Amino acid sequence: MTTAPTSGIPAPGQALQTAPTGHSRDRRGSPIPTAGMIATRVMELRKRRGLMIALILVNIGFPAVFLLIRLLGHAFAPYANPPAGGDMIFVILIAGFLPTFGFIVATTVGAAAGSRDLTEGMFRHLVVTGRSRLALYLARIPAGLAIVVPLVAIGVAIVCAVCAFAAPAFIDDSNVNIPPGLSRAAFENWAGDHAEPVICLLPGNGQTPGNVACPGWSKSALPPGQPAPAKLEALAVKIAGQDYHGYTQILRRPPISLMIKAGLWIELEAAVGFILGLGLASLLGQRLVPVILIIVLQMILTPILSAVDLPHLQDLQRSFVGLAMTHLEPSGLPLAVGLPGVAGGLGRPGGAPSLLPESATEAACVIIAWLAGWTILGAWRMMTRDA
Amino acid sequence: MTAESRWAVETHGLTKRFGANIAVNGVELMVPRGSAFGYLGPNGAGKTTLIRVLLGLTRADAGTMSLLGYPVPRHRGVALARVGAIVDEPRFHRHLTGRQNLRLLAAAREPAARDRIGPALERVGLEHRGDDRLSEYSMGMRQRLGVAACLLGDPQLLLLDEPMNGLDPAGMAEMRDMILSMVAEGRTVVLSSHLLDEVERSCDAVAIVDRGRIIQQGPISELLAGAQLTLDVECSEPGRARALLAGTTLGARIEAVPSALGLEITLPAGTGRDVIAEISRVLVEGGIAVYRLRPVSTSLESWFLQVTSRLGDPE
Repeated sequence: MTTAPTSGIPAPGQALQTAPTGHSRDRRGSPIPTAGMIATRVMELRKRRGLMIALILVNIGFPAVFLLIRLLGHAFAPYANPPAGGDMIFVILIAGFLPTFGFIVATTVGAAAGSRDLTEGMFRHLVVTGRSRLALYLARIPAGLAIVVPLVAIGVAIVCAVCAFAAPAFIDDSNVNIPPGLSRAAFENWAGDHAEPVICLLPGNGQTPGNVACPGWSKSALPPGQPAPAKLEALAVKIAGQDYHGYTQILRRPPISLMIKAGLWIELEAAVGFILGLGLASLLGQRLVPVILIIVLQMILTPILSAVDLPHLQDLQRSFVGLAMTHLEPSGLPLAVGLPGVAGGLGRPGGAPSLLPESATEAACVIIAWLAGWTILGAWRMMTRDA
Repeated sequence: MTAESRWAVETHGLTKRFGANIAVNGVELMVPRGSAFGYLGPNGAGKTTLIRVLLGLTRADAGTMSLLGYPVPRHRGVALARVGAIVDEPRFHRHLTGRQNLRLLAAAREPAARDRIGPALERVGLEHRGDDRLSEYSMGMRQRLGVAACLLGDPQLLLLDEPMNGLDPAGMAEMRDMILSMVAEGRTVVLSSHLLDEVERSCDAVAIVDRGRIIQQGPISELLAGAQLTLDVECSEPGRARALLAGTTLGARIEAVPSALGLEITLPAGTGRDVIAEISRVLVEGGIAVYRLRPVSTSLESWFLQVTSRLGDPE
């Protein structure tokens, strides 16, 4: 150890300053964390390579690679590979992949933020500074969100950009590629020119005539308009008339308003995951168990609760944060994605997926209660535990 | 109690229980400001627990305490603002560098603490390793980083729990010099250690703790003055010499046992020089050839072993 400091700390033998400097502005007992505390917590989380790699891979890497492969596939073989973007891809990524895995990885970040000081022995040093334990806890929330939120935003932005700019030129209605923006008359006219695929694939009320062979029509191999018997043409026009409303509901690319709402919803999913992970990890003092518990809650319990009817426990079912999150899902995203834990879960037996009735206000209250509850529990444990 | 108290650490009736086990038992401790104070005790005596209670790392079950004159836990924040501490083995985030770990701690202190990171690293000799990750640090380097973390608050009081652990002899000497220099600067250093020799060389005063209770405390010189005195006597016929002493009035007051070259005579605490002269006279008049009669100065270690009940079980 050397004995010649340059500044700040008195050199050996030099008298100690008895008048403390800067302590009056210190506000060490305040529960509000300082900007410096938040900034250094961001640094601490950002330097966790494994965690950051997982976070980037899930939110940006996997969607980007998936879309890049589709872009390249379509670029090199446009007839064999559909366009990379479009509404359907948007739905798969935004309502399926990103909220599910983004939630899990955000939970992992929260659990790391809530437990690593304890398990790595740093908590003791921090407590010895005299800083309010509540401030030490609260500093982790903006710090974690400062990492999670931008990465989620980048991932969503990539998905939105590709889905909007690399959307297919046609409307995909039940695997039939139809030009977009047709009027009813134009749609019926087009149906008459494409009678066989329309009869075979579009939803019609009647039976398929026996003289129509329905091969495996695919959107990538749409046959050119073929002359068809007048009877078949009339049937196709009739089916088109019935399906016109459905046709107008199908989007070629996601609208901007939906992209914004979906982005905000996914951010909310990630933020909820982070804060739940932080609170539970702070409460338990470890990382792995909270992550497992939250995954079980979100991926197993919530879908089951969304799928079963429990007449006497509906309030309990509504109080689960996963269901409340689904209620806040933008209306443009379908509940029928069917991924466990996501957007409507498994669906109710014998019918289309549905949710227990719950207003947006009630759902928001449930989410706020979960966030506040776990934050209070985590902070309480942090303030009372032995360091 | 005010911040002008002459005691850097003051506790009264401080008690901490873990279930049925009383780790800190009614401790009355007074550490004078500006001193180097040793806190000694065998394994499980409650040394670390006392430091943890003082720092608010765990709660006391009874008693009062103050740091730098501020009652804690009521004024814990302002008291700890000028306290630095190492408790147990210093552990930090292993994925961060030494400097980044200090930044994390400085951010929780006053704004000026950030400016002290460089000087603190320099003072503990880590200025060239400050940007290495903790995972690359040896135990001794982590100890030094722990001291650097203590210095971020420009502390008036340092509570160091086994700071010599993991240090090589040169590192221990440097740590000792640093402790002495900090005391010379007017800081108070409380050193909890099982290295009695180091404590004796570094500290002015000590407290001996056993089973959670302080047995004795005070300046080392005063405590040792009250210790038993040992005489190392080289003489002819040790057996007859022992019998001669036992036959006099001295026999009831001293304990003589044969040694390799003569006798080892233990005298009670506070024995005067006249008793030593009387022993010499009895032996010589009894026809014993006395080659050497040497009072053996009492070391802190031998005194510690005298007053603690669990001999040979140092922490």
